[in-house]
Amino acid sequence: MAQLHIGTMPLERLYDLVHDPGHVSAKVAEALNLGEEALRDSEEKYRMLLDEIQDYAIFMLDPQGVVVSWNAGAERIKGYKADEIVGHNFSTFFPPEDIQQGMPEELLRITAANGRHEFQGMRVRKGGSRFLASIIFIALCDPAGNLRGFSEISRDLSESKESAAKYRGLLEAAPDAMVVVNQSGEIVLLNVQAEKQFGYSRDELIGQKVKNIIPQGFAERLIADGTRTAAEALAQQIGTGIELNGLRKDGTEFPIEIMLSPLESAEGILVTAAIRNITVRRDAEKHLGQMEGRYRGLLEAAPDAMVVVNDSGDIVLLNVQAEKQFGYSRDELIGQKVKNIIPEGFAERLIADGTRTAAEALAQQIGTGIELNGHRKDGSEFPIEIMLSPLESAEGILVTAAIRDITTRKKTDAHVLELNRSNEELGQFAYVASHDLQEPLRMVASFTELLARRYKGKLDSDADEFIGFAVDGARRMQRLIQDLLAYSRVATKGNDLLHTSSEEALRRALMNLRGAIEESGALVTHDPLPTVMADERQLIQVFQNLIGNAIKYQNPGIPQIHVSATRNADKKWTFSVKDNGLGIDSQYFEKIFVIFQRLHKREEFSGTGIGLAICKRIVERHGGTISVESQPGHGSTFTFDLARSEGKS
Amino acid sequence: MNHIEVESSHLAVLLVEDSPGDVRLTQEVFRDTNMDIHLHVASDGVEAMAFLRREGEHVNAPRPDLILLDLNLPKMDGRVVLANIKADANLKSIPTVILTTSESEVDIVKSYRLQANCYLSKPVQLEAFEILVKSVNDFWLTKVKLPQQRQGG
Repeated sequence: MAQLHIGTMPLERLYDLVHDPGHVSAKVAEALNLGEEALRDSEEKYRMLLDEIQDYAIFMLDPQGVVVSWNAGAERIKGYKADEIVGHNFSTFFPPEDIQQGMPEELLRITAANGRHEFQGMRVRKGGSRFLASIIFIALCDPAGNLRGFSEISRDLSESKESAAKYRGLLEAAPDAMVVVNQSGEIVLLNVQAEKQFGYSRDELIGQKVKNIIPQGFAERLIADGTRTAAEALAQQIGTGIELNGLRKDGTEFPIEIMLSPLESAEGILVTAAIRNITVRRDAEKHLGQMEGRYRGLLEAAPDAMVVVNDSGDIVLLNVQAEKQFGYSRDELIGQKVKNIIPEGFAERLIADGTRTAAEALAQQIGTGIELNGHRKDGSEFPIEIMLSPLESAEGILVTAAIRDITTRKKTDAHVLELNRSNEELGQFAYVASHDLQEPLRMVASFTELLARRYKGKLDSDADEFIGFAVDGARRMQRLIQDLLAYSRVATKGNDLLHTSSEEALRRALMNLRGAIEESGALVTHDPLPTVMADERQLIQVFQNLIGNAIKYQNPGIPQIHVSATRNADKKWTFSVKDNGLGIDSQYFEKIFVIFQRLHKREEFSGTGIGLAICKRIVERHGGTISVESQPGHGSTFTFDLARSEGKS
Repeated sequence: MNHIEVESSHLAVLLVEDSPGDVRLTQEVFRDTNMDIHLHVASDGVEAMAFLRREGEHVNAPRPDLILLDLNLPKMDGRVVLANIKADANLKSIPTVILTTSESEVDIVKSYRLQANCYLSKPVQLEAFEILVKSVNDFWLTKVKLPQQRQGG
């Protein structure tokens, strides 16, 4: 008799065959091409038929569960020969933990009560290896209804088409640990990664409850409850990353993320779980969390808007100032592309290209103020300056960007630029104007002078007086213009600041003043004076103007003038020119440094009031300040410092 | 353009100056020096070169003993006039004094590079101008020994 293969026959049909042989036998007979007559009473043949079935284990139990018959399929699937197993209790096929829980007895009881029980469960082969089986138990009763025994029809599910080698190949190719679980929460399939991840061998896991390796949160997700079917329950979880804990064989736990997908099979819906060990990611998150905690305080304390961006250009952190500046709430910005708020020039700076890595790209930008445009939620743009700094994190290098709204500064810059420009223009104007004014004035002055010389006393007395005023006016105007030129030359014709001996500068100033000194009998003394950074010509001029004034504004008596220098804490030299002259009322301390401001009538003292204004301008060009301390009648002390002064005394 | 027939005993000075006021002022100051000087005036650079080369109406012009040259001139700039004089074998030995209002370092350097014999800034005070003119005359027309020049051109 040819072997009968009914591997593709649905289990249900087989059940019918077993449960109601009379009904089905006709069809079987057809299939076997046997005459109806031949089959009718041929129990022996029927038995032979069952015996020859290879794909199903079919065997009978007595009411106590002792094996009384054994077919070829049972031998193949379970590994026992008939004489090895007949007479033994069927609990041999159960895993020890099921036996412990009394499952074999429970099964018989349920089957006896319901007449039939169908389920999937783990079976143990001879030798102890396990397999997942689809099982049908049928209670066998005599016509009087007395229990005579049971039949079990089971199939090795791992041999079924749906979980065939192809699927296994797919599983093994997956980078993650993969575990396929049935709706009873039992593991029916897994890959090598799962073995490694959980520290079990394949055989140790097959048929185990998934709860053994994922104690919480997994099995529950597959279970139907009053409001949903198992399929619905699963559907809710599909594709979602669920973070749970995995339990290794050695008892250690580790964080996992699982992704579920359903797998329709003849045995119902199986669940494929891709299990990823996220220890590293968790650590990173924890690290980041800690860092974020520490860092957030800093961020919020910063006066600038701060945005932390990962190397994909996503915003991962920001402070309140950033929310305000860009008009978004925190939640709206976290996870957004930084391009949304800084459209150009930022993300590009973080991107690696052929010649550099992202880290190198970033390194080039560190600490540099980069001027870009910010883009607010309302669509308006504003100028910003960003400073980038790297922040090493477990997730790679993050970039912290301090973002400053430079709207005001831009405006101020523009103003300062404009102011500088107009100042310069004014300076240039003063120079050009006074220079060009000088020419016609030279004519006026020279010819009124000639008039005065040739015609004085030859016209009338009015003419003489008029010519006198004209000559005087022209001369004064010439002096004013010359002084104005001198004043503008401080800025336009200044030389570079070089190491200059201030003692030599003083000596030259005194040489220039020797006429006035000799005439007045002035006594000028000085301390040792330092070398400073100065424009020597201008330093000479300052000494000359201050000492010249000290001689000029003098009480009756001998002018005594002393020049000294002291060095203050920040190594600036401060010069003092002290005299015993007229002194100045404190209300004029500021006014005397303003151009063309005079305290005395022209009849008393000549001059246009340019000397101190030039001194102030020169000292300021050297980055210093000039001031005066004085009491009327008790002399004056003019003090000036040079910011960029240095050197030895 | 005043142009006077030359007598060999007279000293001739060519003033190249476009400002009538300055011309007149210089004439006045020269008059006061009591020297026997004929002051010739060219009011632009082109005329100055024509005078020096005795071209056109200047065919009888004397060879000046001294040239007083302003830098900023119409038609031909004083610097070009200076360069032309110093490039001309017949003219280059005539003392050429720059007399200008410019105190610019650039002008000073450029003038000496073009072989000006000296560079003087016009003083703003009349008295100082008088002193300057007298000392120029005293130096260039009296004290300085120059090579004997052919009168031909």
